[in-house]
Order: sequence, then structure tokens, then C-alpha cells
Amino acid sequence: MPTWVIDLFSNFWVSLGGKLLLVALLIPLVGMVIGFAEMKLSAKMQARVGPYFAGGRWGWAQLIADGVKFFQKEDIVPTDADRPVFKSAPILVLVGTVALFVVIPFGPGLAFRDLDVGIFYALAVSSLSTVGILMAGWSSANKYSLIGGLRAAGQLIAYELPLVLAVVGAVILAGTMSLQGIVQAQIDAGYPYVVLQFIGFGIFMIASLAELSRIPFDMPIAESELVMGYLTEYSGFRFLFFFLAEFANMFTLSAIAATLFLGGYWLPGVPEDVLAYAGPIILIAKVFLLVFAMIWFRWTFPRFREDQLQRLAWVWLVPLAILNIVVTAILKVVL
Amino acid sequence: MTIDTDTIRHLSEVSVSVEIETEDMTLNIGPQHPSTHGVLRLVARVDGERCYDVQPVIGYMHRGYEKLSEVRTYPQVTTIVNRIDWVSGYANEIPFIVAAERLMELVVPERAQYIRLILTEMARIASHLVFNASYPLELGAATPLFFALRERERVLDLLESVTGGRFHPNFNRIGGVKPAYAAGSNTRKMPQDLPAGFLQETREAMDKVGVAVDQLEDLVAGNEIILARTRGVGVLPQEVAVAYGVSGPNLRASGVPVDLRTTQDYLPYDRFDFNVITAENGDCWDRWHVRLLEIRESIKIIQQAIDTIPSGDLQAKVPKVIKVPKGETYVRAENPKGEMGYYLVSDGGQGPYRLKIRSASFSNISILPWILEGILVPDIIAVMGSLDFVLGDVDR
Amino acid sequence: MTSSPSETETTSLQEFADRVAGAVSGVAELQFGTAKIKVRADSWVEAHRTARDELDLVFFSWLSAIDWSNQVEVGDPPREEVEERIELLSGLSDVTEGNLVIMSTDLPVSSPRIPTLVDVYAGANWHEREAFEMFGIDFEGHPNLQHLYLPESFAGHPLRKSYPLLSREVKPWPGKVDVEAMPEKGRSDEPSTENPEA
Repeated sequence: MPTWVIDLFSNFWVSLGGKLLLVALLIPLVGMVIGFAEMKLSAKMQARVGPYFAGGRWGWAQLIADGVKFFQKEDIVPTDADRPVFKSAPILVLVGTVALFVVIPFGPGLAFRDLDVGIFYALAVSSLSTVGILMAGWSSANKYSLIGGLRAAGQLIAYELPLVLAVVGAVILAGTMSLQGIVQAQIDAGYPYVVLQFIGFGIFMIASLAELSRIPFDMPIAESELVMGYLTEYSGFRFLFFFLAEFANMFTLSAIAATLFLGGYWLPGVPEDVLAYAGPIILIAKVFLLVFAMIWFRWTFPRFREDQLQRLAWVWLVPLAILNIVVTAILKVVL
Repeated sequence: MTIDTDTIRHLSEVSVSVEIETEDMTLNIGPQHPSTHGVLRLVARVDGERCYDVQPVIGYMHRGYEKLSEVRTYPQVTTIVNRIDWVSGYANEIPFIVAAERLMELVVPERAQYIRLILTEMARIASHLVFNASYPLELGAATPLFFALRERERVLDLLESVTGGRFHPNFNRIGGVKPAYAAGSNTRKMPQDLPAGFLQETREAMDKVGVAVDQLEDLVAGNEIILARTRGVGVLPQEVAVAYGVSGPNLRASGVPVDLRTTQDYLPYDRFDFNVITAENGDCWDRWHVRLLEIRESIKIIQQAIDTIPSGDLQAKVPKVIKVPKGETYVRAENPKGEMGYYLVSDGGQGPYRLKIRSASFSNISILPWILEGILVPDIIAVMGSLDFVLGDVDR
Repeated sequence: MTSSPSETETTSLQEFADRVAGAVSGVAELQFGTAKIKVRADSWVEAHRTARDELDLVFFSWLSAIDWSNQVEVGDPPREEVEERIELLSGLSDVTEGNLVIMSTDLPVSSPRIPTLVDVYAGANWHEREAFEMFGIDFEGHPNLQHLYLPESFAGHPLRKSYPLLSREVKPWPGKVDVEAMPEKGRSDEPSTENPEA
């Protein structure tokens, strides 16, 4: 690389601006790609074709067209709605997702910022979307939205706990909370942690489905009962924020799962110097596998009722996760 | 959930502290709602997720058919009547036509009766496939919708090839079914009959529908979440069902083996061999399962009918201007939604003096206040969907 | 299989109708395969209770009325003079053999009233509400006698013969056309529906 480029980017502000730009570009791109994947995959599962016309026979421009459509719609805020809360709710939800993006390691040394408390930061910041959803449900001045928001509150808070506890097992094995450090520990150990932490992996995937409010944990939205739950009154680009946030969040949570349990940007057998270039591709491949599983579940299962959902979290997932931690800790000390 | 409703009511009325005592909320479900099968409005008093009192408000689609039929001739009434339960359009016409034929003491040719029976069973398959499409969708599973509707397209295409209409066939005439070419045409010498290849195509389509029913059963029946959502939800005891006049698959799912196809003679069902599907518990899962199995029975009936269909005329000799002699009769039929009946009062004129339409869904949803008392809000949707009603049938 | 009942069916239906009529002290009338039992208005509820308890007619099918009137605003008036009354009908059936009876009673045209059947058959609730709003029959003791289909403010009883069809006031029906004439042969501006190979 020419030296003036390296000097330019060693300036803190320039590199910060560059990273922000990259994130701002990547999030919509990731959202669109995953959204398009969902449309096409669900169509295949349902004996349909999916998007077909936008952008030629393959329909690849469908989500670009959807984005443009949402942008040019009228900005409707209901008369009785709490205006500042209503307007800032989508922003909070998106912020939770974007902030998660920052710590994901795409390759050795290829994270936007590698924090020592990486996973702790990631879990804390992902709870911001919970607040955003509650704000959306409350401020919409609509009984359906209120019911959806309350269901979301119960569900998201209930599933934070298994999400956090499932991660602790991997952290114990790695000995560090930094995400780069966890991948490095898996490289040193020679096997991805899912081999030992399969319970933790399962709990993490289920809890992340619930955090995303995807079917089967779809009660806050519950399209056939609550019209759109907390999203009912949102239209135009505010809805686009929620829409993008959901798909981008699918990516980020799957990336964290891949990093913690599946070995991140590393595959057994790949030499270290190739990882700098092949790392992002490997990570994205693993993420797409997990996203495919999420899409598959969404179109196969119906939704849980709220009390069944809560029972699953508190009676099954939390004790299992605690058991996982205890066993891992004991085995780590003993072995 | 084993906490009974009285305890819940007591718990919600006890105020723990002044600040967190909550009031009930009145939630309007409908009339525009994704799951109310039309313009049904439920005014629900809800406390959190538990709903205490549900009052249905109907009549948003009341079209006044009984009054309209007093100023129509009998063939014109046929066109109104198949819009009552539009999902199974053909089946609505049959009891009315049979009532008029009974008053005229007409003998309908055998071939016409077999054709009526085949088309009625195809309407039943279409209606039950719509149920199998929309009910899992209300619970959240979106995929059975596409499987079921794809099969329904086969059935509707066949119906359209014979009758000219997918939802509103207008195929029955007093005395039989519509002859293939209009009377008074130059082509009267050509044989008047079903389209060429119809019977063979129907047989093949029925095989494919059978395969799809197996797929649907695989996809939906064993799914744990579906079982958790529908088992034990909305249990309808036999005595309550019978006192309210609930009929059709809803009644059979509660264990009462009433199938009007076996006891009434409006169509020649006694020549065919089929089972009456009943279930024991009367919960939502049973109602869903009964309808799925009934599709298989209808396929059996259609295949037997195609194998043994006689040849002959399609319509008995009737005068051009039809006047039905004076008399009163009630004909009841097993429609896909339940029991449909027409009480026809004729005065010897060209149109009825009074036509009372007994529609199945009207009685089926009169049970909603009873069955939805003390139930959770998501279960309202599950129960309403399992009753399988159509607002045209409710409101007439 | 014909559409009118065979001899054995008619006799068994006649036996059934006679049995019901005897139990509820009414008059049985069998026409065109339908058993109709006429009872007096003051024993309407008792007759239904007997039918439910002793005759096993537990299935409540429907309840409605007929407005017999010699002057009609819609349709044709009856050809012969009829006694002006409101005839209340209810359909009851059993759940084992598919026997159905129509119970009927006569009510006076001005202020028709009768006790409610809700205590005997819970399903009569909505049917009686509909009969109330369509015919103006007052069901005494009904828990919620309000309009079912029509808006609360609707005045009049639509299914009575004296109630006009308002659409007809605005635009008359263009005649009872039962059979339209076929298009003439040889018209070239309309596509022909006839088979050219005939």
C-alpha cells in the first residue's frame, strides 16, 4: 500500500471516520442481503418463486426497491402518539444492532474495535433494542401496540438471561471476554467450542431467536392477532429502521454465535497467514449457515403462546444454562 | 394452565397497592382484522392477557337474502344463494334446489345427481383446504397455507371447467344440472354433457390432493408447538354444542356422530362407502384433525362416484317458466361448515313466498360468548379459527 | 334415488310425527317429507321442554317466523286468502337418527309476544334476537333482546310483508326475466357462441 494512505489512516479521526462510513454502508447491505435471502429461501420452501421481476429474472434488486419505496412514503405519526418517544424508538433499536457490529472479529486484527470486555459489551448493548421496542409499543397510542409492547417486554427480558448464561461457558473455556481472544483460544485448542459447549450453543440460538422476536417467539408481533404488534403504527422509513434492524441483528447475533462456538474466522486446517484474507469469508459462511437455520425455523413452526414461551425460558433454559456453567467450571478446573 | 377463572378474577380484583391496581381494557378485535374471517367484531374485556367477556357483534355483512328471495324467481334465487358460504359455493345451492324439486315432486335423473354429488364433495374439499391453509397461519405457521392453496387451485380449476365459476357456480337448475349447451341453440343435437376428460382429470387431481393431505398431516399434526397451542384449548362439551345448534365438523369433533350425509336423502350418499369422522375431546386440535381426515373421505367418495357414474340426461323435463306448487318443506344438507337448511314456503308462484335460510356458521359462532369466557387473548384466535366460519354464512 | 321420500320413509316419518304430536299435544302435519307440529302459543315453552327431555330432540336447529299477510309490499300476494298471523317456527332434531320436526305456533299480527326458549335451549338466544328485529316479536324473559344484524337505530321490521324493499322505490325492477331470447343468427359484430362445426 502507498505510504500516504497508511499515514492518512494512522490519523485517529480519519480512521474513525472511515470505520463509521464502513459500518454505515455495511449495515444496510447486510440487512438487504439477508432480507433477500429470506424471501428467496421461504419461497423455495413454499413452492413459490419469490422476487422475480426486480432487477431481471433473479429479482435481486427487490430489497433495494423496497428500501426506496419505504423512504419515499409519507411520515405518519398518530395524533395521540407520544411524538418524541415515537420518533426515537426505531433509532434505539437500530443503535443496539450497530453497536454490536463493532466488536465482531472478521479476521485476525480485523475487528472495528476489539474490546477486552468484548462479549460483556455485546450482551449489554443488545439490550438497548428491548428499550426501543418498549418505547415503540407504549408511544403508539394503540391498544394492539400496547399489548405487543408488553408481550415484548416480558419475552425479551425473560430471554436475556439464557442468552447471557449460555455465553459464560465459552468464556470460562477461553479464559477471556475479548472476542478476538476467544477465537484465538479456539485456534490454540484446535477445536471449536461447540464440541464441548453444545448445550450452550443450543440455548444461545434459541434465546437469540427470542431476542429477534422471530417465529416461534413471535408473540410481540403476532401478525395474525395483533396486526403488527408494536410495529402497527409505524410506516415509511421508521418501519424501514425496524425492518433493517431485524435482519442486521440476525447477522450480528449469528456472528457472535459463530465466534463463540463455531470458531469464528478460523477453520481447522487453514494456515494462519491465509486467515487474514480468508477469515471474513469463513465467518460469513458460518453466519449464513446459522441464518439459514433461523429462516428455516421461521417458516416451519407456529408461534408459542406467551405463557408457554415464559415457561420455556424460566423452567428449562435458565436451569440448563446454569447447569452448563457449573459442569464447565468443574471440568475446567479438574481437567 | 390449571388456574381456574374464578381465582384469576379474584386475584385481579384484589388491589395490592393503590398504584398498581389495573383496570380492564376493552379491546375491539375487528371488524378489520387479519384473523376474523371477514367482518366480525368481538368486543373483549381484557385484563392483561386474559379476557373476561366477549360479545360478538355481527351484521356488517347482512345482505338481506331472505327478503330479496321474495322478489326473485327460483332460478334467480340460486344465484343469490351460492353467495352465502362463498368458500364452498356449490354446496349452498343444493338444498334449495332440492327443496324446490321436492315441492314440484320432480324426479332428478341419476346422472345429474351423481354430478351434483361429485361437485359438492369437491366444494367440501375446497372449503376444508381453505381451513387447513388459514388455521395454521393464524397460529403463526405460514407454510401450510401454500401447500393447501396450491391443491385447492386444482379443485377450483376443475370446478371452473365444468361450471364456469370458481366460487359462484350457478350450475344447478331445477330438475338437474345445467345442460352443456343452452336450450334454443342450433347445436341442440350435440350431446349435452360434462367437458371431455373431466372425470379422468378429476381422478388424477384427487390423487394429488391425497398426497398433499399426507404432506400437510406430516407438517402440522405432530408439531409440538401446534399441539401445545391447540390441545385442551377451547373444549366444547357435547351438551353445550347440541343445545346451541353447533353442527358439522365442530359437532363431530366433540364426539357426536351426526353426519347428515348418512341420514338425509338429498343426494345419493347411501350408495357410497365412507366413514363419519369423530373425535373425543372437542378441543381445537380435534376440530382441525376432523377436517383434515374428512378431506380423505371426500376423495374416496369422489373416486367411487366417478367409477360408477351412470349415463343419462342432465336435467328433467321442466317447463320454461317454473312455478312451484303450494307447499312448505325443509331440506337440510351437510355443508362443509355444518348443517345448512332451507325452509321453503311456496304459494304456487314463480318465486318463494318465504325462504328461511338456516346457515351453519350462524349457530356455530353463537357459541363464542360461552367458549371464550376466561380465555387468553392468543387463544381467542385459536378457537375462532378452529370453528371455521365465514361471515357470509353468519350474516346472510 | 328420487327427491321425494319413498313409502317406507313416509310411514316412519308419520309415526314419528304422530308420536311427537301426542307428547306435546299438538297437531301433526306431514308435507313433502317435513313433519310440522302445530302447538298452541301458551304451551310453546312446555312443548319444547317435553321435546327435549322426553323425545330426545336435543339439537336446536333454528327459529324463525313467517308473516302471513294478504297485502304485501314486495313480491306477489298470496293467491288464496290467508288468515293474517305471524307463524313462529322452530326446528328441533335428534342426534342419533336425523329426525327433525318443525314446531309451529301462531301469534297475532299486532303486538306478537311469546315467552322465550332460552331456558330450554341456550342456542335460541341469537335466533330469537333475529326474529325480534326482523318481525317485531317480543320474547318475554330474553336476557338481551337487542338488534343482532341491524344497527341499533334501525326502525321497522324488515321481514314483515308490509316493509318495502327500499331499492325498489328508487329504481323499479326491470321485470321478471326468466329466459332471455337468444341472439339472432348471422350478427357479425358479436362473437358467436355456437359451434361452427355443428
